[in-house]
Amino acid sequence: MGESPVTELAVRGRQLHADLVLDTEAVVVGTGAGGSIALRELARAGIDAVALEEGGYHTTADFNQREERMLALLFQEQGGRTTEDLAIRILQGRGVGGSTIHNTNLCKRIPDAILSAWADDFGLGDVRPEVLAPSFARIEADLSVSEIPAADRNANNEVLRLGAERLGWRGGPLKHNRVGCQRSGFCELGCSYDAKQNALKIVLPQAAAAGARIYADVRATRIHVEGGRVTGLEGVVLGENGEHIANARIRAKVVVLAASATGSAALALASGVPDPHDQIGRGLHVHPGAAVAGIFDRTLASYDGIPQSYECTEFLSFERGSDRRVWIVPAFAHPIGAASALPGFGASHMRAMRDYGKLAVLTALVHDETEGRVVLGAGDRPKIRYVMNDADRAQLGKGLVACARILFAAGARDVVIPAVFPHRMREPGELDRLDTGFVRPHELPLTAVHPMGTMRMGTDPKRSVVGPTGEHHHVRGLFVADGSLFPTSIGGPPQIGIYTLALHLAHHIIARARSS
Amino acid sequence: MIVSRRRFMRLGIVGGLLVGTGSVVAFVRTRGYVLDPVRAGRLVALSPWHVVVVEHAARRIAAADAPEDANIPSADDTDVAGFVDGYVAKLPADMRRDLLRFLAVLEHVAPLALGLGARFSRLPAADQDRVLTSLEQSSTLLLRAGFEGLKSLVFMGYYRDPRTWTILGYPGPWVNRP
Repeated sequence: MGESPVTELAVRGRQLHADLVLDTEAVVVGTGAGGSIALRELARAGIDAVALEEGGYHTTADFNQREERMLALLFQEQGGRTTEDLAIRILQGRGVGGSTIHNTNLCKRIPDAILSAWADDFGLGDVRPEVLAPSFARIEADLSVSEIPAADRNANNEVLRLGAERLGWRGGPLKHNRVGCQRSGFCELGCSYDAKQNALKIVLPQAAAAGARIYADVRATRIHVEGGRVTGLEGVVLGENGEHIANARIRAKVVVLAASATGSAALALASGVPDPHDQIGRGLHVHPGAAVAGIFDRTLASYDGIPQSYECTEFLSFERGSDRRVWIVPAFAHPIGAASALPGFGASHMRAMRDYGKLAVLTALVHDETEGRVVLGAGDRPKIRYVMNDADRAQLGKGLVACARILFAAGARDVVIPAVFPHRMREPGELDRLDTGFVRPHELPLTAVHPMGTMRMGTDPKRSVVGPTGEHHHVRGLFVADGSLFPTSIGGPPQIGIYTLALHLAHHIIARARSS
Repeated sequence: MIVSRRRFMRLGIVGGLLVGTGSVVAFVRTRGYVLDPVRAGRLVALSPWHVVVVEHAARRIAAADAPEDANIPSADDTDVAGFVDGYVAKLPADMRRDLLRFLAVLEHVAPLALGLGARFSRLPAADQDRVLTSLEQSSTLLLRAGFEGLKSLVFMGYYRDPRTWTILGYPGPWVNRP
């Protein structure tokens, strides 16, 4: 390709000494999984392309494994983003590389049954499993995806494997995109050893080497549309403390939204993009989840090692109408995360924290049917309306009970569901009598890390925002290339699916950029 | 039950009232808080009275299970309130506003709801625990959320300090580990 190595990947906001004014062929908003691939493919096709990233440009040297620092640096709203009713914590990345910086590197394809349903229900015949398989394979090769060796499984993951096997439940090893992993256990805070084969390390440097330009600390605020086609966008350049230090004006004939299911929808809404059927922001899914802790008699040190290397899929089926919609994986946290999740406060809380080294923690995530919505909040930031429906609450309840059974089967002496009124159990028989009515907002700490939907793809403009090419139904040149595209929940980690869809749609984006 | 942030402000009972009822209440509400002037001058997001409330709440939220153990640092030792001030300063304005209003509810309204006549920061420790528990378990769901938010900030300020890690048997980050 004639690509040359890149030393400084992105221009930081503070390096801009005047307004950012560019005339280019394509501009990509967001630099996570989808944006990085769209940018790379555009640049490799010889298209003059730039990417704007609202967050900062951070490198390995910045990732100091400190929760209080990394939460502020790498997450939207310093890790404090929640649903509108404050009931579900939404963890989303912010910065060059997006959520690929802080995710735990899990790599799963979108299940075949989901793709087939999208093809049948949304007219997306071009995403059938056999059609998408080459794009999945290419992404997996790009990111060095491999199965996590059993020898690298830490104590927390061993608890899950052992418990599931003793119960005769389906499970297996997970795949990841890591090379040279030191097994330090700090994936969620950014890798200090540059072992993540993510957008920051792999894809964006390839894009830059092919001629793309990346601007950090630039927040897109308005997409410009004239006569049914996109003409560019405007934004603000942010200083080190988020202050507005300059303006950005980018003329382009293609705009690619890749700012996540929340960010892309909010930008489209703020811009007044044509939306005759009121579809932008609808169809939000998040995989809501909650945790269960098991206390063992021995030290597990679950904070050490690869956080997630094994899954239990006994309660996960992707067939239509399935009532098995729960994915179970380990979910350990560092001290601040653990302290925030454990119920109560004061002396009793500290007593519980003394068991920190003896804890194993599992989480149940729901392959959700609930459809939330992104609307505009203060300062045009996304406001996330999402309240789990009864069916999803019931699924989560089943999932929590399953987590508890696994922990007991693996030898936990106590199992705690950290609700506001905690449920502490000493033997599995207590689970038979457990009323899971506590699975509801504000009774149970809920977290979600996989927002998707909101700019759904489909052939019918009455129930989707973009067509099968990823281009907006009503605005030529406006594309989406992130998890917003998903018409439904996918029931697992979305990063590979997002990378792959962006790659799969790239030739349409390139064709539009090349057209007059 | 769908409860919007706006409804939270209404449910925040007198919280919104306290903020908006004019200078007399505001004057009374913020009087009588003592903070070292040098420290007050360094504040970036909180006012001195907010700091006092956070300090009192943090002492209870991060209270030691073995108070006689000198190896357990206090919330004051780890400057939880100072940390919260710096962290809150970088939050989006609406989130910062919500937190400050919650602190007003904690200080002035929540004790009254339990029949306690004094401000939260002037109550004995046991009564402060009662107030915090009442918020944690409130039937007003968004007061629970407010408590959870404050609790998270306090524990972020507390367990960021390496001196607290010995309580947990946690060896700390690998980076810069001796």
